Amino acid sequence: MAALTQIFKIPDSIKKGAKYSFCPGCDHGVAVRLVGEALDELGLRENTIAVASIGCSVTIYDFLDVDSLEAPHGRALAEATGIKRARPDKFVFTYQGDGDFASIGMAESMHTALRGEKVTAICINNTTYGMTGGQLGPTTLLGQVTTTSPTGRNVEYYGYPIKIAEHIALCDGTAYSARVSLDSVANIRKAKQVIKKAFEIQLHGLGFSFVEILSTCPTNWKMTPQQAHDRVRNQMMEVFKPGVYKDITADRN
Amino acid sequence: MSHIVLDEAKCKACYLCINECPKKLLRVGSKTNNLGDHLVEFYDPNHECIGCAMCATRCPDLAITEVYRG
Ligand SMILES: Cc1ncc(C[n+]2csc(CCOP(=O)(O)OP(=O)(O)O)c2C)c(N)n1
Ligand code: SF4
Ligand code: SF4
Ligand code: SF4
Repeated sequence: MAALTQIFKIPDSIKKGAKYSFCPGCDHGVAVRLVGEALDELGLRENTIAVASIGCSVTIYDFLDVDSLEAPHGRALAEATGIKRARPDKFVFTYQGDGDFASIGMAESMHTALRGEKVTAICINNTTYGMTGGQLGPTTLLGQVTTTSPTGRNVEYYGYPIKIAEHIALCDGTAYSARVSLDSVANIRKAKQVIKKAFEIQLHGLGFSFVEILSTCPTNWKMTPQQAHDRVRNQMMEVFKPGVYKDITADRN
Repeated sequence: MSHIVLDEAKCKACYLCINECPKKLLRVGSKTNNLGDHLVEFYDPNHECIGCAMCATRCPDLAITEVYRG
């Protein structure tokens, strides 16, 4: 019999037997796995402190096998700043929803980028407040129906959605800012490389690194997981274009 | 022989893997989970699996735990 090569395994940085509490088809699960794979491949598991946020991301410490802290809503990057300044030898990252990062936590997020703190933030953009039942959030698309915009988001009343990766890229302390999507296997593979790159930026002490991940919330969007990926592709990626918006190492490569 | 390992206890019957497999080797099975949803099964009687890991990469719930190529 021909020798078998293992092509895929659950990363060691995910706790043995971990069972996610996310809804069926929710891309939070893919994002957490990619973070685990990146931690494995860069050998970071034993030297990492993760900061969990409020939202459906709240329980990542149940799944990732690394030291973790839980931050109050929006304050993950304030906590991460304190941790990194006290222990610069540690690898420190946050895992936050778009509401956590860019609504209640906007001040903390922007100022962490402006200060150029040597930490990494992963932000899941699913265009809604997932955990609390699908209210309008900072990234809700124009026209999108949510529980607090029952006739759809309109500019006159709610204003425009924020393009987070572009704004973070404008901060002088930011070393790396990118947006990826999990709508297809090809894009999941790209997302993994981007997460790894953001982690490497921190390891080289270059400044703040940021990855926005376009993700699904089939439950609150009232869609099947398949339909939700179509929505990411056809609606979200049109407004929130994937790409690298800042990379201070780009010229050196 | 290329193949995958599926942990039924973790499958949430989202069916995302079914459309991803280029050889159509994943299908809705007869077994159900606690919610009554039909779990996915790996059905490869003709050994067509190419070990591409498309299914495992797509699975959001760590239910496809291993993929082997050979
Ligand atoms: C100070 C405070 N205000 C409000 C809440 C209620 N709350 C819990 S999760 C959440 C929204 C989370 O949305 P998001 O960050 O987009 O993450 P998701 O659940 O979509 O992944 C809110 C408003 C809270 N826990 N604490
Ligand atoms: S509510 Fe939405 S974001 Fe939260 S776990 Fe369910 S599908 Fe995922
Ligand atoms: S490894 Fe590839 S060919 Fe085999 S079941 Fe998965 S998707 Fe299909
Ligand atoms: S993608 Fe994973 S959780 Fe969804 S049906 Fe397939 S094996 Fe089950």
